[in-house]
This record gives sequence, C-alpha cells and structure tokens, in this order.
Amino acid sequence: MSSIQIQNVTKRFGDFTAVDEISIDIEEGEFVALLGPSGCGKTTTMNMIAGLEDVSEGVIKFDGQDLSHVRMQDRNIGFVFQNYAIFTHLSVYKNLSYGLEVKKVEKPEIERRVKAMADRMSISHRLHQPAASLSVNEMQKLAIGRSAIVEPRIFLLDEPLSNLDAGFRAYMRAELKVLQHEFGQTMIYVTHDQIEAMSLADKIAIIDQGKLMQYGAPLDIYNDPQNRFVANFVGSPRMNLVDGELREEQGALRLMLHGGAEIPLAGQVKADFTSDSKVHSGSFGIRPQDIYFGDKRADHDIKMLGKVEVLERVGPKRLAYLQVQETMFLAFDEQAQLNVGDDVPFYLPSEASMAFDLDSGRRLGGQ
Amino acid sequence: MKTSPGAMALKCFFVFLASVVVLYPLLWMVTMAFKPHPEWTTVSGLTWLPKNPTWQNFEFIFFGEAEGLVVSLDRTIGGPLIASLVTATVGTLIAVVCGTLASYAVVRFGLAQSLPLSVLQLRLFPPLAVMIPVMVMWAFIGAVDTWWGLSLIYGIVTLPFAFWLMKTFFEEVPVEIEDAARVAGCSYWRVFYRITLPIVKPGLATCALFVFILNWSDYLLALLLTQREWVTLPVYMATLTSAMGGQMYGMKAALGVIAAIPPVVFGLMIQKHLVRGLTFGALKQ
Amino acid sequence: MTELANNSKSMGYWQRVARDGPRMGFWFILPTLLLLVFIVVFPLLMQLYLSFTWWTPLEGIPWYQAWEVFNWGENYWFMITDPRFWGALWRTVLIMIIAVPAQFFLGMALAYLFIDQFPGRKIFYSIMLTPMMIVPAVVGLMFFLLFQGTGPVNDHLGLPAEFSWLTDVNRAMISVIIADIWQWTPLMFLILLAGMLGVPSDQLLAAKLLGGSNLQNFIKIIMPRMKTVIIIALVLRAVECFKIFDLVFIMTKGGPGVQTETISVFLYKQTFGELEWAYVATIGLSILIALSILAVKGLSYMAKK
Repeated sequence: MSSIQIQNVTKRFGDFTAVDEISIDIEEGEFVALLGPSGCGKTTTMNMIAGLEDVSEGVIKFDGQDLSHVRMQDRNIGFVFQNYAIFTHLSVYKNLSYGLEVKKVEKPEIERRVKAMADRMSISHRLHQPAASLSVNEMQKLAIGRSAIVEPRIFLLDEPLSNLDAGFRAYMRAELKVLQHEFGQTMIYVTHDQIEAMSLADKIAIIDQGKLMQYGAPLDIYNDPQNRFVANFVGSPRMNLVDGELREEQGALRLMLHGGAEIPLAGQVKADFTSDSKVHSGSFGIRPQDIYFGDKRADHDIKMLGKVEVLERVGPKRLAYLQVQETMFLAFDEQAQLNVGDDVPFYLPSEASMAFDLDSGRRLGGQ
Repeated sequence: MKTSPGAMALKCFFVFLASVVVLYPLLWMVTMAFKPHPEWTTVSGLTWLPKNPTWQNFEFIFFGEAEGLVVSLDRTIGGPLIASLVTATVGTLIAVVCGTLASYAVVRFGLAQSLPLSVLQLRLFPPLAVMIPVMVMWAFIGAVDTWWGLSLIYGIVTLPFAFWLMKTFFEEVPVEIEDAARVAGCSYWRVFYRITLPIVKPGLATCALFVFILNWSDYLLALLLTQREWVTLPVYMATLTSAMGGQMYGMKAALGVIAAIPPVVFGLMIQKHLVRGLTFGALKQ
Repeated sequence: MTELANNSKSMGYWQRVARDGPRMGFWFILPTLLLLVFIVVFPLLMQLYLSFTWWTPLEGIPWYQAWEVFNWGENYWFMITDPRFWGALWRTVLIMIIAVPAQFFLGMALAYLFIDQFPGRKIFYSIMLTPMMIVPAVVGLMFFLLFQGTGPVNDHLGLPAEFSWLTDVNRAMISVIIADIWQWTPLMFLILLAGMLGVPSDQLLAAKLLGGSNLQNFIKIIMPRMKTVIIIALVLRAVECFKIFDLVFIMTKGGPGVQTETISVFLYKQTFGELEWAYVATIGLSILIALSILAVKGLSYMAKK
C-alpha cells in the first residue's frame, strides 16, 4: 500500500478547467472518498491518479515518488470502472487471471489465487462461465476481484455501486469496508452519493467545479462545514440555508431574507456574522434536526413564526415544511403534534446555527 | 496515456513509409500527365517532375490535337466524359430508388425476407459468368451502345449495395417516430415520404455517392455493352489510339487523372460510411 | 398532418395503397423484384439453353433458334478437358491465395499502427484509403506505366530497359499481384481498423491498468473479438479477387501468352476473340452453380454461429 500526495493538481481540456489546484494528502491504508455533484471533476482527478489522464499542472506522488513519467501499466493500481469493463469475451476465470497472466505468474500459482479470490467474492460457482452471462451484482464482484487479485498498492473505484439495486448496494458497502480492512490497501472512491461517502470513508474530499471544497473526516465535515457548498451538500435531509442581507439597527443585527422574512440574530451565530465586518450578505444555516418547537431552551435561541405547509413522512419520522413569508424551513416534528395549516412558533438554536458569507460561501466564525 | 517517444517515432516512420508506397503510383501518373512526349520513357533520362511541364496531353484529349504534336485524335474526351456522367448518374438513380424502396419494405413491413440475401448473392458472381445472356438480351431489346442500356445494367449491378446500405440506415430510425406519426393519422406513404426519408437524408446522400463511385469506376460492363457512341471514360482511356499509333502514355495518364478525380473526391466525402457500404452493413465505423 | 376520414368509395387506388402498409410495401418491392427476375431468370434459362448448343454469333441464326445446332452437352465435356480453362482457373486461385493473405497481414499491421492517436493521424488515414477509391482501370494504367521496361521501377532499381515486367513469363504475374495488393490493402485496413476500434475502450483501459502491455492486450483482448470481422474481410476480398479483370486486362491483356489469364480474362477472350459464346455460357453456368453451392454452404455455416 502507498500513501498518495496530490499537490496543486490542475487539469485543463482546452479552455475548460476541469480540476483547479487540488491538493490532498492521503495516508497509507486510508479510505478516501471523492465526493461531489456530477461533472465536478472527481472522476478526472481519479483518472489522473491512475495515469489515464495527464496532469496539466501540479504533481501526483505515490510515497513521495513523482509519477509524471510512469505509464499507467506500471503504476500497479487496481481500478474498478463504473460499468465494470469486464472482459466479456472471456470466462470469469480468465478475467480474474488476466492481471496475473500478463505478469507471467506460474500457472499453478494463478490457479490457486484465482480460486481463492473467487471464493472470497462468492462467485466460485461461475468460475468457468462466460463473464458476459453474469448478473450485474456478480459482475461488480468480479470487477473488484479482478483488480484485487494482483494485490495493487492502491485501489481506485469509480462510482462502483451506482449500477446496483438498493438492497445490494447496502450489502456491498459493508463488503467493501471489510475488504479494505483485510487487504489494507489505500482506497480512493469516487461517488456523488453522500451517504455512501459518509458511511465508508475515513476522509472525504468534497469537490465542486474542479475545486476542493473541504477535506476531512466525515464527522468533521458534517459538524463543521467550511463553506456553504459543503454545508448544503452533506447531510440528509439538507441543511436549511436561507440567504439575505445583514442589517444593523440600534445594536441589533438582523438577516433580511430574500424571501421577505427576517431573522433576528443572537448569540453565537450573531457573533459569527459580525466576525468579519466586510460581509454584507449572509447565509444562515440550521439543520432540520436542530430546529425545535415548544418552549425556548436557551437564552439566545431565535424565535421564528411559520405556517405548516406540508407534513411529510420519512420513515418513522415526520418532516414539517414551515413557511415564513416566501422562505421555507424544514424541521422534524418530533412530538407529532403539528397539523397542516397551523401557525407555529419554532426555535433556531444559536449554538447550532451556522453563518456563511453569501458572496464567497465561506464559513464565518466556526471552531 | 503516454507512448514512449521511441515507439511513437517508429510508428510515424512506418506510417510515413506506407504513405509513400500509397502515393508513389499516383504521383507518377499525375506527373506523367504533364510530361511532353520525349519524357515518357527512360530513353532521355527519367525524372519525377517534368523538365518541361506542359498542358499538351490535356489539350490533345480535349481538342483532338495540340501544338507540337504531329498526331491527331479522331475522337476527343467530350463523348466519353458525358457517357460516364450520364450512365453513372442514371444507373445510380435506378439503384438508389429501387434499393431504397425495397429495403424500406423489407425493414418495416417484414416482406420478402429472403430478398436481402438474394440481392447479396448477385454480387457473388463474376460478371463474365452471366455476360453472354446479358449481351444477347441487351442486343435483343436494342440496348447495346445506348445510354439507357448501360445505365440499366449499372443500376442492376449496384442495386445490392444501395439496398443493404439503406437497409442499415432504415434500421436505425426508431419505429416509435413512425408510429407516433401513424397515430396522428398519417398514411404509410406520408410517414415514409415526410418523416422517414428526411431522417435518412444524409444516409441517402452517402448511398448515392457510394453507388455513383461504383458505377463511374466500371470498365468491364462498358467494354461489353458499348461500341462507339456511348463508350465511357475508363474504356476510352484504355483503348486510346490515334491515327498515327504510338504509345500515348501522357494522354492516357491525363485521362486517368480526370477519371480518377470524382471517385476520390466523393470517396473522401463519405469516408465515415465506407465501412458500412463495403461490408453491406455488417460493420459500422 | 391528419388525413380526412377514410371514405373508400371516393378514394383512388393509390390512395388506398398509401394507407395499407403491406400493400404499399408490395409496390415498393416490385421494381427491385422485377429487375432481379429480369437479370436472374432469363439469363439463367438462356445460359442453360445455349450451353447445350454449338451456337456462336457467327452461325448467322438468332439465338433462340440455337436448337438447330444442338449438341448433347459436349460443351461441358470440352470444358472439363480444356487445359486453358483450368489454367485460367488455377491462375485466378493463385492470385487469390497470394494477394488476399498479403493484403490481410499488411492491412492488419497498418490498422495496428492506427489504433492510438498520433500527429497527423486523420490525414494519413485519408491517404491510406485512397488506393481503393481509384478507378480499377486507372490503377491498371498506373501500374502499366510503372512497370514499363522504360519506366520508373526499372529506373529506380537500376535495371536495364530490357528487363521487362509485364511481358516476362514469371514477372507478369508478380506485377499484377503487386497492383492488386496496392489497390486493396486499404480495404483490409479499413475493415480491420473498424473492428479493432469496435473493442470497448474501457476494457482496453482495464487491461492496461492490470499491467498488460500494448502487445499483450492486442493479442488477448482485441484479436479474439475480431473473429467475425476477419472472416468478413477475408470473404469479401476473396470474392472480389476472384472476379479480377480490369487490372489484369489493362496491364497485360492476360499475357504474355496466357501467363496472367485469369478466369474473367479467359472468358472475355472466348467471347470476343474466339466468339465461342455457347462455350462461354457453359462455363458461366458452371461457375454460377459452383459458387452458389459454396455460398449456401457458407451461409448455413454462418447461421449456425
């Protein structure tokens, strides 16, 4: 296994910059997810690590060794494509043995390792069948096995679970985690599904439009997003993010929302907003789970008044859509006491609320 | 993706070598077309580029005589040129119209399922294996040495290509589009004429050019079925003689250049579809 | 686009056809069917008829009265014992078994070169395709000029003008084969390259990432997928090569003597030289039957796969 250093890597296609000065340090044996919306540059980044694409600027190193002149054949990388790229004209056995054959491993050794891998991936019963006849789930396991069998130092997976049905996806998530612990390889995992990233990765790199938005452990990213994009992207259901202009009147700071309502700022979040005097437009963030109803719990919690527009069942819980003028807040109706059409007061705890500069997206204040 | 510079250099070298081999005969003919009589053979030292480039050869075939040449031609290029144009065009029309209509019927209505293969078999046989009856038949209906007689055989012989090519293009038109039009009340003819045909227009153009190239390039059929009036360019070129005899390399080369240009131009235009046409739709590019 | 409601009584025949799919299809197929019948049925019957007679245009009688010179299949016997016929057939096959494999391997090699990008690939690709677009008769002329005793080939190789290519007993065949290889290797190149590029690129990438070299990937991934393409290319070219005429006729007229007389040239000479039309009809029919049997066998073999 190797550590990977991605240093100021940029990739341009003509005029279009797909990846813009991304720097990530990945340690040996880490499971890192590259997370972001479609077209953000995560796959391009991974392709550069694999050697499928050249780097326009910057450098990629394995264990400190510059890879610029190393061909993809020689990088000793395991790569699982999104559509698996199984050799459809070969049998399952031949698919698994390919990487060993080209390295001229001895036949009995090949046989031993192929059988072992097939067992572990639970596809032994298909060993001598044409690879094209496998189900999608089995193909995925074959793809992983084919790459794993050559014991690469690094494993790259490009949205490997997106073609699978939901039930199997959950199963494979667990399987991958187990595999990673067993093999101990450094794994890089490209996905647009934040739940996958959050549950699988040791660290997540969030990428948007070619730029690295934040890189850190899942919980850090969730609790402490560095910018508005990350706050918006991570978390299910999404964080409430309402935008407006800051107005100061007689020592009181309000956020005048674009939707017409106002949030009277107080406590920690007020301090956050005032931490940078240059900021005039702001974004107020509060997770649905943190909004509460009933009695005020802390001094600086902000009271708002809203009308219940929709009540939505999400598993065992109920989501309430609260309308404040033109703005909608999402909250959990823990007590199940709300009815559609009610005018209810609700509270935004100032400790849990987050402040963002609307122009740059930067998080204001924070730990 | 990096190829080692060494491998790339080797690759470029071989490609260059192959290009030289490809262009060598072509360039020789082209330069020959511009060479005056003395430079046609090694007798006076052979060179690539003409020492005294001249339009003589072209003049000769167009006007029947040229400066500095003692010989003269009894028939100029005018006739054969028109013959080639007319017969290739009309032949193309016949092949494309019949082939398009028939392939549409086979693809959409599932009629005559054995037609594709039968039509393919037409291409299997050497023309000379059936030429006797064809010549007799043509003579019988007075089609020998006529524009329509030659066009007719051209149309028949290239029909398989037109049929198969259009068949693949029609198969690519989603049935749903036609069904939608039918549901909206169009008759089958209307659907074909106003919806399907416009969609396959580029394919139709490709097909026409492809078939034209084949017809224009014919030598044998024209040799057999024309005598004097409607001799086409290739036949004229091959049998070029003058009242005084002689080798006429330069003039033949000039004719070769003229005859070769349309197919090459059209061929390059439809480059993308060549595979499809030549393999009867088995492969696409 | 909506038509008026069907009112059969007031509609003409063609309007009804336009609304009836299969019937319209019938009319669509008709021209082609007629042409096919015209070119297949009559010639076949006529050839059958003539092959049993001694008829030539010299006889002075119209063809349909050829029964006047009926022979009982003596043409067939003549054909079977005709050394010139078998010679022509053999020479044709000889050209095929030399030229077609040569074109195949050269085409394959060229196609391999063109798989990956390189500077100028598009232009060189177009250049590579040019030979097969040249009118075959013109190709014949080109090589006729090249192989003249006083031509550039001898000049570049430093050979004297007496060293002939086209009139030499052995070298005439070689010249013709070279010309055919020049013209048709691009076709092999075109088809084989299309086959190679048809291999899914991500499978090739996967193979590379597993450590496979370009050569290993070519042999293990690309080649196995090309079986059908290879067969198509070989069959197509073999069939066309069998028909070879323009090149040979213009370069050597089948000479010297009969050294390069292929089956098509032989038939041509019989038709216009000896004017033995019934004999030609006999041979023609026999070839047709032989090829048809081959075709049927081949197709049923393909259908099984």
